Amino acid sequence: MAAVPLPSEKGPNLLWRALQRTEVGMLLAIVVVLVLTATIDSQHNYWNNPKDSAVEIIRQTSMLGIFALGAGIVIIVGGIDLSTGSVIAFSGSVCATFMLLLAPDEMRFNKPVGLTTISLAIAGTLLTGFLIGTLHTWLITIVELPPFVATLATLVGLRSLARALVGHVNQGSSQIPIFDKQFRYLATSVWIPATVFLLLAFLTWLLMSRSVVGRHLYALGGNEAAAKLSGVRTDRLKWLAYCMGAVLSSIAGIFYAGAVGTASPETMGKGYELNAIAAAVVGGCSLKGGVGTIPGTVLGTLFLQIVIDGVAKIIKVTADIYEGLIVGGVVVVAVAFTQLRQAARQGKRFFPGWLGITAIVTLALLAGVLAMLFVEKTTGGGNKIGGIVAVAALVLLGTAWLLESRRDKRAGS
Amino acid sequence: MISIEHISKRFPGVLALADVTLAIAAGELHAVVGENGAGKSTLMKILSGVITDYEGELRLRDKLVHFLGTHDAEAAGISIIHQELNLVEQLSAAANIFLGREKRKFLGFRDDRAMEKAAGELLVQLECHVSPRQLVRELRVGDQQLIEIAKALSLETDILIMDEPTSALTESEVARLFRVIDRLRQRGVTILYISHKMDEVFRLADRITVLRDGRLVKTLPRKDTNAREVTHLMVGREIESVDLGGQRQPGEVVLEVRNLSLPWTGHARAWRLRDISFQLRRREILGIAGLMGAGRTELLECLFGSSPELPQGRILLDGQEVKFTHPAEARRAGVALVTEDRKRLGLFAQMTVGANITICTLAETVRAGLLSRRRERRLAESIVSKLNVRTSGIESAITSLSGGNQQKTIIGRWLLTKPKVLLLDDPTRGVDVGAKAELYRLMNTLCGEGLGIIVTSSELPELLTLCDRILVLCEGRLTGEFTRQEATEQRIMEAATQRSS
Repeated sequence: MAAVPLPSEKGPNLLWRALQRTEVGMLLAIVVVLVLTATIDSQHNYWNNPKDSAVEIIRQTSMLGIFALGAGIVIIVGGIDLSTGSVIAFSGSVCATFMLLLAPDEMRFNKPVGLTTISLAIAGTLLTGFLIGTLHTWLITIVELPPFVATLATLVGLRSLARALVGHVNQGSSQIPIFDKQFRYLATSVWIPATVFLLLAFLTWLLMSRSVVGRHLYALGGNEAAAKLSGVRTDRLKWLAYCMGAVLSSIAGIFYAGAVGTASPETMGKGYELNAIAAAVVGGCSLKGGVGTIPGTVLGTLFLQIVIDGVAKIIKVTADIYEGLIVGGVVVVAVAFTQLRQAARQGKRFFPGWLGITAIVTLALLAGVLAMLFVEKTTGGGNKIGGIVAVAALVLLGTAWLLESRRDKRAGS
Repeated sequence: MISIEHISKRFPGVLALADVTLAIAAGELHAVVGENGAGKSTLMKILSGVITDYEGELRLRDKLVHFLGTHDAEAAGISIIHQELNLVEQLSAAANIFLGREKRKFLGFRDDRAMEKAAGELLVQLECHVSPRQLVRELRVGDQQLIEIAKALSLETDILIMDEPTSALTESEVARLFRVIDRLRQRGVTILYISHKMDEVFRLADRITVLRDGRLVKTLPRKDTNAREVTHLMVGREIESVDLGGQRQPGEVVLEVRNLSLPWTGHARAWRLRDISFQLRRREILGIAGLMGAGRTELLECLFGSSPELPQGRILLDGQEVKFTHPAEARRAGVALVTEDRKRLGLFAQMTVGANITICTLAETVRAGLLSRRRERRLAESIVSKLNVRTSGIESAITSLSGGNQQKTIIGRWLLTKPKVLLLDDPTRGVDVGAKAELYRLMNTLCGEGLGIIVTSSELPELLTLCDRILVLCEGRLTGEFTRQEATEQRIMEAATQRSS
């Protein structure tokens, strides 16, 4: 279309344009959630222990953020990495294995292993990450497996391999405990993960948005064929991206092993890849590739973590049980938010035909079940509340449906 | 038959159609012409039910209608054949023809045999020698297009809209299409024909409507007008016939190709290119003509290092032998390629105009290891002004530019690499008349600056205007070489259709 832009679109107010950007919206959302949690929380954790709450959030965000950066980079390049959680488990196990092999007595008898051992173990783990990234790239570019398939294979394979490895070096045990105080300090202090995360975020930001390689990565993600035809070495760049993803996951693996004090390949990092992808997507990365920013991913991570923490404070059970639900909900709302805004403006029909009616019933049921669970946790007598909420949701959505039908009928005549 | 009354359509930021009123008589072939962005596609989308909210009224057979979707339009007797084919490549021809309206046997099972039989009959009517069982992805574009037409015919609509139907067809396929259209007209089908090409329009149309910037400029009977007048109305200004190349003096040989061959594994013909030898001089425009499948694009790919298989033979750039295995090597050596499918292979749709321009030469904008926004902007703006790219700024989305301006952007991208040899694969495809003339002038200027240019095209008049010499490919072999004086459309066509014994 020979777009001759209408005057209202040209030269808008700088402030208005700034407000439209994803990052600003994210920041506002973060503030909103923080305020909500602080007020609704009956124990007023945020008011009473601001330092502890902040420290915990910062630690969790940093650890998630480190490998969310990797997920973001791989997604921007147009690929996907499903193996992140397993790489975390594998790396943690490899790190513990190195320490066990280099200082077997110290590890078994709870004596300090020494900085050299720790350094060597960390170096070895990072190298492992690089090798895993290389494996991914080889499978994807030479064997030509779709990234989904290649990283799915390592998702299942690496965890199993880690379990076998640990069993082999630790006399059949399923974990390797790490008592060394220095190593554990790496993760239990909040400053080290936070600094490492911020440093890595800064470096990856520099790479992605201010370097030639970064621009080429975006080009590769946006249109691989055009990138190659513009002289971009697409295979080498994929190698870089997948290795960055795997190495960042390895770093996270080291931190998680230190935080928990055990390398347990069966449970470490289970499901974490989806949180990383969610953080990247919420922060503005598109799975089609070529779209997304590092600041966005960082904010997405922070937002996700704050929402999880907030709901945990409000519902007062361990976050783990509801984490999945929350992440799922946040992803849908965040990604759909911009599209919903525009669609609503253009008068889109959200509940058309039979699909719409069935969707209404499903959503109402979901609301009811959630209400029942939520209420039971806090006061008891959840079933009735659940039922009421379900009916209320049904009525609300049903009204929306009626309004939509009436509007359509008016437009059609 | 169809009465379009005061129809307008507004998109965010753009007024695509403004108060268009037009009446189309039953059984006529009505051509709609206009530059890119004039509103032709938008109007057709409204008629065929793709766009459902617009201002104004539409009457069909004197009854007021408002389509709620494409099904409505089809039910009313209108079907459209889009410029971009809407076929499912993994399904067979018959399956595509009956997609959404599959024939059923008892108990609701699919009746494949009946569909294949019916499809077969339709294809015979269209002179298409394709088995209804064949998968669409194995067919040539010309046949794919006929499948689309068969689809429309199977609906037994009496109003057919054709949007740039010949853009991907060879000369013989175009002739076949015209015969089909003639037969349709005998049956009384009303046809709306959108095209850039004046010769087609004047061969087929009863009446011609010219749109410009969303408005209807004029509707004329074909007999009362000529190509020059119509072009003038489309563009609003005189297009001087571009007189080029008279003063060009070719310099020394910059590119030499000796016995270039490209194997074709698993194919009956065994060779995509066979024993091609030629030279390109600086300040020369060399044209490559040939039918689709003759190997024009493959030849350019071999010269650029983007061919999936490595070619045999020798390529010498400025006397030095080169073997490119990746476009990056070609770029560094000074060879540039502007591909034929800019949407799929050339543009980065998510990026800005500026980023699209500088993508090949970012290394020059680096300061202290990082990209310098200022230098990048300067580079991009230099191209925008040199090539006269019409855009609201280098920060605007590349998708907001018209086809011709997008093409200039990509050419500009490669100009920044300071190439010795510029390869252009069908550069004016999908570009309107005004922009085409600009591109011709640009090529002439670049030539004057010392480049050697190779151009492929399916439009013979274009090659005859532009080129100092024309090579003709036929089924992978070089079957003709003509200088500007020797070349005629007749001779080129003969060389292009030569059957090797």
